[in-house]
Amino acid sequence: MRFAGTTDIDAPRERVWAFLTDPAQVTTCAPDVQSLEIADPHHFKVVVRAGVGPIKGTFTMNVQFLELDRPKHAAVLARGQAPGSAVEMVSNMDLSEFDENHTVMEWSSDVTVSGMIQQVGARLMQGAADKITQQVFACIKAKLEAPVTA
Amino acid sequence: MAVEIGGIGQSVKRKEDARFIRGKGKYVDDVKLPGMLYLDIVRSPLAHARIKNIDTSKALKIPGVAAVITGKDLVPLNLHWMPTLMSDKQMVLPTDTVLYQAQEVAAVVATERYIAADGVDAIEVDYEPLPVVVDPIKALQPDSPIVREDREQKNNHIWHWETGDKAGTDQAFRDAEVTVKQDLYIPRIHVSSIETCGIVASFDKVEGKLTVWMTTQAPHAIRTVIALVAGHLGLAEHKIRVISPDIGGGFGGKVPVYPGYVLAIGASVLTGAPVKWIEDRAENIQADSFARDYHITAELAAKKDGTMQALRVKTIADHGAFDAAANPSKYPAGLFHIVTGSYPFKKSFVEVDGAYTNKPPGGIAYRCSFRVTEAAFTIERLVDVLALELKKDPAELRMQNFIPPTAFPYTSALGWEYDSGDYGRALRLAMDKIGYAELRKEQAEKRKRGELMGIGISSFTEIVGAGPSKNFDILGIKMFDSAEIRVHPTGKVMVRLGVKSQGQGHETTFAQIVAEELGIPVGDIAVEEGDTDTAPYGLGTYASRSTPVAGGATAIAARKIREKAKLIAAHLLEANPDDVEWKDYKFQVKGVPTKSKTMQEVAFAAYTNHPQGMEAGLEAVDYYDPPNLTFPFGSYICVVDIDRGTGEVKIRRFVAVDDCGTIINPMIVEGQIHGGLTMGLAPALYEQINYDEQGNIQGGTFMDYLLPTAMETPNWETAKTTTPSPHHPIGAKGVGESATVGAPAAIANAVVDALAHLGVRHIDIPITPWKVQKILKEHGVAE
Repeated sequence: MRFAGTTDIDAPRERVWAFLTDPAQVTTCAPDVQSLEIADPHHFKVVVRAGVGPIKGTFTMNVQFLELDRPKHAAVLARGQAPGSAVEMVSNMDLSEFDENHTVMEWSSDVTVSGMIQQVGARLMQGAADKITQQVFACIKAKLEAPVTA
Repeated sequence: MAVEIGGIGQSVKRKEDARFIRGKGKYVDDVKLPGMLYLDIVRSPLAHARIKNIDTSKALKIPGVAAVITGKDLVPLNLHWMPTLMSDKQMVLPTDTVLYQAQEVAAVVATERYIAADGVDAIEVDYEPLPVVVDPIKALQPDSPIVREDREQKNNHIWHWETGDKAGTDQAFRDAEVTVKQDLYIPRIHVSSIETCGIVASFDKVEGKLTVWMTTQAPHAIRTVIALVAGHLGLAEHKIRVISPDIGGGFGGKVPVYPGYVLAIGASVLTGAPVKWIEDRAENIQADSFARDYHITAELAAKKDGTMQALRVKTIADHGAFDAAANPSKYPAGLFHIVTGSYPFKKSFVEVDGAYTNKPPGGIAYRCSFRVTEAAFTIERLVDVLALELKKDPAELRMQNFIPPTAFPYTSALGWEYDSGDYGRALRLAMDKIGYAELRKEQAEKRKRGELMGIGISSFTEIVGAGPSKNFDILGIKMFDSAEIRVHPTGKVMVRLGVKSQGQGHETTFAQIVAEELGIPVGDIAVEEGDTDTAPYGLGTYASRSTPVAGGATAIAARKIREKAKLIAAHLLEANPDDVEWKDYKFQVKGVPTKSKTMQEVAFAAYTNHPQGMEAGLEAVDYYDPPNLTFPFGSYICVVDIDRGTGEVKIRRFVAVDDCGTIINPMIVEGQIHGGLTMGLAPALYEQINYDEQGNIQGGTFMDYLLPTAMETPNWETAKTTTPSPHHPIGAKGVGESATVGAPAAIANAVVDALAHLGVRHIDIPITPWKVQKILKEHGVAE
């Protein structure tokens, strides 16, 4: 499955970059995070609960930044497992400056889901993924567009 | 008199139903032993992956988890691989690579079923995905990912098998006036028996004896396999008892040995406690052996007048990651060479190539004796393709070509000796019963109005009763079967058999054979199967072999008893044995009906007053090696109407004429046919297991895999002709699978017939509304 989209964020590009490439910050917008272990600036492990309809699982995701071209482009590989299911996701993100306070983010994700969630939930997957995506970006926008507190 | 005995030909009510309809059947999951542990299995979410690490630490910390087993634990025991029944080997648990989705990866043993499941969830496996191949045609290309890196041969080709006269067949095609060619795919389907697979393994460390209760169609063969696989661990065959209790449907899916069985046995030997493993529905449908999955190209050569001359068939067989089918050793493609069907082809050539893919093991027979459904579908579909090519009525084309009744015993172009048959009689009866000529008129009128109606015929020939020892064995064990009959002093009888019922009604039908032979009422005869400590050795129940093989053994064992009984009767009647005859279920002095002895009187004498010099008792054993296979046949006619709006196929009528030789119990046979027809309807219109490119199963639950229920099933109309098998002791041929074999082609032919005027020549099964609607749209006739 491939997902892609463009999101406008009312924040400076450097700030958007800093937020999205910091595991500690970006995971605050991931759905239902159970734990986060940062191994080094390029590798982290995050445990999230996710699912489709009645099939839910706790996914242990190993995340790796494949490309970091500050502040324009990043590529991320996330590979994880839940009991009976596996997921692999390669995401790309390109940031461009609309003006100094507005950033345009173009993103895409290639997601391969295997196992129980795919078997049982295949027909619901697109809807569920769209919903999660919307929530994630709404969260990112809200956090980045909030006034900076000193 | 006959009715009281309940002998052959009587619709005796099924003795086993007394417990089944009361919910008192005893299945494997009903076995509960003190201190029993429960096993659950970690399965791979990926279809092909390297296992980098298995972390069992969290699972082992869960209170109640007794043990975790991984492939590495099995290596020192040499149990990480096991032989399949087809000269291949199969992983019990992987040590480094998984080859299909839902493959067993590790096992957890715990004090409760739910704790075992929690343990499974707590095991963390680190997989590295590998390239996947799910299409056997791609798998045979040189650039395909290799499924079985463990083999020396670095490709996915398993075996090539061929039979027939290649040069002669090719020549016949070059000389032919008319040839037709059709590609057919027979989809992967699953037996989906109501009861899933399971085992309770109980190892007694003091006696060194292993007792297993297990869902198996072949308990004796399983005992031997356990002894061969685990002999080096001290499990000898006299210390292994396999009990196959009541079974909720087998259909071939309970012939193979699954890793779960081996793991439960291993866990019981390891812990000294009884261990139960019962798979859930999703595991059953996703990981247990699959059926069919044949990619076929079939060609038929004929004269312009319709005379069929030659048949050429090329097939690629998808066996998944392990060749774990259960065919007789000599026949890796089963009895697929029955593909010449009911027709006297002069020349024929068949070749099959087996391929590995990243799918669960495939190729078990699903209610068809070894690839016969694939064969019958191929020839009966191809005959209709020829009828279209020649613009001939498909019934007329069949009638013109059938092997004539005078030609039996008939040797087919591919070497089978058909025992008996009268194919024209069966088809005529089916045509009369359904009103064939009227239906053709109705169809012509409807076509003018734009309505879609089709009539499909299937005149199949089955091949069952494996089999004669000269050609048939599994793992070298010849495919005889056995019966042991003991007549007790009071004239009651115990019959033990080497076969094993999974719902077929053996406790009734085999009692009827004995009743008929010994003149003892069927209610006085108990039939016991499935316990290897008591039953004589046999190869089990599958491939419609119980009546043809064990039925023969039962009749002959009973006749051995009657021979001895005759001597005792002569002694009691003070007559010369030559003057005593068996008549009206009694021994009579010839010409003096008043001087007679019943079998019960003889039985009592066998223990109380037997002639001096004769052994006491009245019992016999027979191991029956059938001289030939049996060849049941039938003609089915299906009438369908197609909804031009939805593409839905509605079966209006279905007439099934079967000929299975002598019928032991007409009621049971009719039930077998009803069930078989429904299982033939299933792949024709509904069932298919697909995989996406990553090897994810599509249809791994009953939400996506449509088994026909009462809602989908039409009213079956059955009829019969009776052409006994000349070589079988009671003339019976077996019927368990005829309907499953014959039905799919009748339905597919009816749908194609409904659309033939649009130029449609073939539609691959299952013929779903989506496929039909697509065709209707392409031809501009969709509503």
